[in-house]
Amino acid sequence: MKKLLAIASMLLFSAALAFPGNVLAQTDPGVRGGPINGQPGATQGGPLPLASVNANAPTGILEFFDNGLGRFQEQEVVSGGVNNGLGPRFNLNSCSGCHAQPAVGGSSPPSNPEFQVIAQGIASGSTNTLPSFITAHGPTLEVRFPFFTNSNGGPNRSAPNGGVENLFTVSDRPDAGSCNLQQPNFQQAQQSNNIIFRIPTPTFGLGLIENIDDSTLLANQQAQAANNFGIAGAFNRNGNDGTIARFGWKAQNKSLLVFAGEAYNVEMGITNEMFSQERPLPQEEQGNGLPSNCLNLSGRGYPEDATNFNVAPNSDQAAQNAQVPSDVVLFAEFMRLLAPPVPSTNTPGGAQSIASGFALFKAIGCSTCHTPAIRATQPSNVTASLGNVTVRAFSDFEIHHMGNGLADNVSQGGAGGDQFRTAPLWGLGQRIFFLHDGRTTNLLSAIADHRSNGSEATQVAENFSSLSNGQQQQVLNFLRSL
Amino acid sequence: MSSLLSRLLLFFAASLLVDAAAYGAAQYGPLPAGVILVKGAWSSAAGASSPLPEDGKMSSGRYDNAYFGLGYAVGSNWTQRYEGPPPSDSGYYVLAQIEPQNPALDPSMGHILIAAQDLFFTLAPARSASELVSYYQQHLGAEYRVERDPIKVRIADRDFVRLDYLSAVAGLHWHVLATEIRCHVVQFVFTGSSPKSMERLVEGMKTMIQPTVSPPVCLKDFATPDTVLEREEPVFSQLRFNPVAVRIVIDQEGRVRHIHFLSAFPEQAKNISDALLQWRFKPYLLDGQPVEVETGLLFGRSARPSAAALR
Repeated sequence: MKKLLAIASMLLFSAALAFPGNVLAQTDPGVRGGPINGQPGATQGGPLPLASVNANAPTGILEFFDNGLGRFQEQEVVSGGVNNGLGPRFNLNSCSGCHAQPAVGGSSPPSNPEFQVIAQGIASGSTNTLPSFITAHGPTLEVRFPFFTNSNGGPNRSAPNGGVENLFTVSDRPDAGSCNLQQPNFQQAQQSNNIIFRIPTPTFGLGLIENIDDSTLLANQQAQAANNFGIAGAFNRNGNDGTIARFGWKAQNKSLLVFAGEAYNVEMGITNEMFSQERPLPQEEQGNGLPSNCLNLSGRGYPEDATNFNVAPNSDQAAQNAQVPSDVVLFAEFMRLLAPPVPSTNTPGGAQSIASGFALFKAIGCSTCHTPAIRATQPSNVTASLGNVTVRAFSDFEIHHMGNGLADNVSQGGAGGDQFRTAPLWGLGQRIFFLHDGRTTNLLSAIADHRSNGSEATQVAENFSSLSNGQQQQVLNFLRSL
Repeated sequence: MSSLLSRLLLFFAASLLVDAAAYGAAQYGPLPAGVILVKGAWSSAAGASSPLPEDGKMSSGRYDNAYFGLGYAVGSNWTQRYEGPPPSDSGYYVLAQIEPQNPALDPSMGHILIAAQDLFFTLAPARSASELVSYYQQHLGAEYRVERDPIKVRIADRDFVRLDYLSAVAGLHWHVLATEIRCHVVQFVFTGSSPKSMERLVEGMKTMIQPTVSPPVCLKDFATPDTVLEREEPVFSQLRFNPVAVRIVIDQEGRVRHIHFLSAFPEQAKNISDALLQWRFKPYLLDGQPVEVETGLLFGRSARPSAAALR
């Protein structure tokens, strides 16, 4: 045995001599431990609100946050329950199922709840099949087909689609009546490469992003135009008023209310005051829409989520007030009032390594798009913590060409198939999956994927490659400290 | 004879079937991986064919660009692995991204970015190479240290502005050499850890080929009520809010000969080119002779309303 160990040690030593770079190679430190969101007191089910919200200023706002947090976690059913309106198509039955890491409001969790949908009876196994790309420990996914299909099922390149194709139907659920819908043909879409994925974006600190005036973003864009990294982004402008949209993977959503309303309708099939019709699949919408026996399944009429006009009197006025708004309004309030993540000053790798990593991050050009700090938000008419503060989101909220390696061939608003909003990096240290489709859990891969034909980030990725292993490790430590 | 004719007809019919099948496969077959099929606002051209700034090519260790009249021989051990993005709506071009064929052999070789900024549409308040480089210098973050203040240098019979700076923490140096061509600032950005190697690359610029054909005279804001004799406004069928930066070449008779959309959605490009091809300009005279003019126009939403417009 001793002899075997000696031989093994010799081999390892020889390998170290022959491939020093590999042995000492930099590694992604992985999901950072410690306090959730870097905030002592935060729990998985209890993310912290902004400081002024926590201080209940203005009076009653904390009740709105708490109520929103509760509704964000509600489990929806089709009919006959407390929370009705699920379906007829859906991806999951709660917001917090997907927005879960490292706390409610976050991104994709380590165990994929979509994998359990049939096993838990949320969708019937007699009418639904678990798509092969939904795995137990993979990311929670939203699916889109870039193109409509022809009669043979092949993608028709002259007919761009890009709409969400829901994973499940309510068919054969005991609370879904006679509604009988088929799942999209995911297998065929996979075979023809006509399928792309998106993972949930984290929602911490979104009220700050919502409260940045356009002039601040435009000034930042002008300042960043002085770069020698080959970068020149654009803004995705809202189609109604031309102002800068800023939420979603392609900055396609203008406000948190639109973001919440669309997600409630698209991901869970719940109509609301923002999106008040049941949503067929894109191909169904081109035909006759949904069949009548799949409409009004809750039996309550539309929208399924509406303002609660008849709230029972309550001695607690704030609690009574918070019950009045519809779910989407309180989802938006919850996201608006969530505190941003707090970076660690010493984990992983120690304070010096993190500080050096931040300096390198700026020096090699990452900060051209991942702007560390945008000064400052507008005055806030909601709560003090939202007004006149620096937003340390590490994003310019521009859309950038990311090349053929990341392109998903889905156009949203002014963003083309290869353009994505600079993903905010705050909270990155405790995220599991990276890039819009969650293709990797490794930061090194995520950085490498910034480089491809047509990408604005190639020069920066080149600069990262030119750093020593030790310097790259410092950058990784810095990123995981966020 | 009839047999030959039948065979010909059969061959023709078979060809059609093969073509149709190929078309069907292309149109409906599996989507190719790694291809950007759905483009947003993108560059395009209309009118008479003419070289475009983004059409430069890197081949056999040499970068050539017909629009700018450049030919830069970097060396056979250099290549372009990844092409740059399309031009931006503010007129920024990544012309070439050049790196060593085998960076592992000598990591200190660094890499080269050749970029251009259209001075008609720049977000930076700059009217020249000198002003643009100064703008860069003013906006350098605290993580950089200037090694050489902007200085005018002459390379291959052309004026350049050169700025060198360093990031000590990264151990990387940047040498920026900028020159003006056709109302663009063309920039050579050398990045690497070895100033000596980078200097060799700068030296290599001395063999750069210069324009052989005189390009059109470039004039900012040439299209004014005084110069536009006939004008048809484009009608947009779709409400969009992106700025549409357009370069046009006007011939000696005042007609729009060539249109280059830096960044436009297809329907915008179609509507604008339909209109522009009807414009008629007062011929521009140089030394009493009408000459071709290249100018810029901004349609759609302006990226940056002028300060005067905001008052």
